[in-house]
Amino acid sequence: MKKVNKFLALLLIGALTLGVLAGCGKSANEPGSTAGDDGFRTLDEIKESGVINIGVFSDKSPFGYVDENGDYQGYDVYFANRIGEDLGVEVNFVSTEAASRIEYLQTGKVDIILANFTVTEERAEEVDFALPYMNVALGVVSPDDAVVTSLDEIGPEDEVIVISGTTAETYLEKNNPDIKLQKYDAYAEAKTALENGNGVAWANDNTEVIAFALQTPGFTVGIPSLGSADTIAPAVTKGNTTLLDWLNDEIVALGEEEFFHTDYEATLLDTYGADYEDTLVVEGGAA
Amino acid sequence: MDVEVMRSYLPLYRDALLLTLRIGWQGVLLALFIGVVCAVILHLRLPVLRQITAAYIEFFRNTPLLVQLFFLYFALPKLGVRVGAALCGVLGLGLLGGAYMAETIRGGLESIASIQSESAQSLGMTRMQAFRYVILPQAVSRSVPGLVANVIFLLKETSVFSTISLMDLMFTAKDLIGMYAKTLECLTLLVVFYLIMLLPVSVLGSLVERRLRHAEFGP
Amino acid sequence: MRSLGLDVLWKGKNFVRLLGGLWVAVRISLISVAISIALGVVIGVLATGRSRVFKAVFRVYLEIVRVMPQMVLLFVVYFGTTRVFGWDLSAEFSAILVFSFWGAAEMGDLVRGALISIPRIQYESAEALGLSGGQVYRYVILPQTVRRLIPLSINLITRMIKTTNLVMMIGMVEVLKVAQQIIEANRQSSPNAAFGLFAVVLLLYFAICWPISRLAGYLEKRWA
Repeated sequence: MKKVNKFLALLLIGALTLGVLAGCGKSANEPGSTAGDDGFRTLDEIKESGVINIGVFSDKSPFGYVDENGDYQGYDVYFANRIGEDLGVEVNFVSTEAASRIEYLQTGKVDIILANFTVTEERAEEVDFALPYMNVALGVVSPDDAVVTSLDEIGPEDEVIVISGTTAETYLEKNNPDIKLQKYDAYAEAKTALENGNGVAWANDNTEVIAFALQTPGFTVGIPSLGSADTIAPAVTKGNTTLLDWLNDEIVALGEEEFFHTDYEATLLDTYGADYEDTLVVEGGAA
Repeated sequence: MDVEVMRSYLPLYRDALLLTLRIGWQGVLLALFIGVVCAVILHLRLPVLRQITAAYIEFFRNTPLLVQLFFLYFALPKLGVRVGAALCGVLGLGLLGGAYMAETIRGGLESIASIQSESAQSLGMTRMQAFRYVILPQAVSRSVPGLVANVIFLLKETSVFSTISLMDLMFTAKDLIGMYAKTLECLTLLVVFYLIMLLPVSVLGSLVERRLRHAEFGP
Repeated sequence: MRSLGLDVLWKGKNFVRLLGGLWVAVRISLISVAISIALGVVIGVLATGRSRVFKAVFRVYLEIVRVMPQMVLLFVVYFGTTRVFGWDLSAEFSAILVFSFWGAAEMGDLVRGALISIPRIQYESAEALGLSGGQVYRYVILPQTVRRLIPLSINLITRMIKTTNLVMMIGMVEVLKVAQQIIEANRQSSPNAAFGLFAVVLLLYFAICWPISRLAGYLEKRWA
């Protein structure tokens, strides 16, 4: 009997250690506190906590990336910071990958996704999109010495690089199932793979491939527009109407001061030049 | 849980399983080969080669496979050395596994008393013959439990291949979740397929281990 | 010869950020190892006991840990639990949970192995000398098992550190992710940063794990 008691005591100590350590881990890592029972936090809950969790890319320059001082920067981030300012809360940036964007919203791990999220019907069944703030279509970039100008040029053995969970992936899977895809999780990986010559081309949002070709010598956008013209918008967890309504009002209000033009000039001008400003920017949610 | 959805995903998971197994086994074979070579070099105390082997083992045992793969796949091409994803997976697994296998086999070799080698030589065998016909067979059978553990470890490690665009089980699950958000179904299938792949190996390993022990110590 | 991208390291806070990322991995490992050792000792002692039920449960637990990749467990815990139970676990908490789950099984098995490796006769002799059950453990069995276990536990730390970089997959920014971010932010100015950064990350891991495993090897030899 004595032995058994000792074991129980040990077990208890073990469990307590686990509990205490776990407690530390949790409080240290989550400034925005946890989601409620509905799987999301309402506008009031966010304001009360003083922190909003926004999912952005951390490796997708110039839309969402981290500079050498460890600060988040880019077109999406500029908007995210403004949201925080207008809500009167701090912004806690959460680094996401393309494929986990829906998952993050559905599990309440972020309040808003502002990660170059293209509005599609399939996604709209899973999350709620606010008004758009940017135009987008698909594009394909390839090396200068073997520019791909049409999808027909892609041979049966060629592989096209895509990023898992993007509209380019879904589009090619659906419309060109014969094209072999080479899929990566992160933007940084896909770009490095293209530079290294692991695929014949990279298909993605045209905004992104144009930026890449402009920034990287030796690459040309052979197919500047593919598929339908879409828009990019913030997304919230399905059913989070308070936050969604606030976001929509915010986007309309920001339109009056031409906020997204300012955003473009602050973050995208260096990459795209002035030519793309009116093609890309959507002001006040109106196309 | 939507069984229909799971059924529609089955072919994708099956392909992924086959790819995982193909690359996994090629990697394991390469690892065994490297392991035996390195263990023999260490055991026979060949000059120079021994130091190189020891350095290789220490390096690969003390760095993560994920980082090794990133280096092979994303960094080496910057020097002009380009390795395809599948080859990279096999190489990565083989190099990592080789370091572990070498240690295991060397442990087996060292467990054989040196008197056996001497006795064999006194019977007229050369040093190489004694090694080849007396020491090695015993050492291998003693290392089997460790080797099986290594094989399981290596097959498990294939899950990091997803990061270098290989469509293995892990990648398929992540990709499907990203496209269709059927998280629960995808994760369930993922767990089931890993069990299908590794449980037999694990059980077989335990059986072989018991068998060998039986041979050595009797019932 | 083009630059290998090492210059990027010294730009801004880049190197400090890399070290910060490494610390995330090391911190999770240390916490998980601490929990693993505490739970592992309990599990290991229980596994040498007489309860058949516990032994069966332990076998199943060991088998699961043995065959299931840590990355799969991470995904199941991080994304799966939210779906099934509505729990919202932070990435770090999920990671610690998964690595402790894994480590406790390994540690439990090691403790069990160390305990049964001590010959039955030692227990009997100690009892014959008049020591009570608790005293036998305290003065005879524990000192021997602890010696055997310390090198093995130290090894577990390096294995943890080498595995924790998987937390990148559930959105934690650790050293490899920081490296990617740096590569991305400098793609234009130093296109070869990928080489320098991944090489440095590889060396950083080696610099941490190698001394620890040397220590374990030294203790193992000394106490063997």
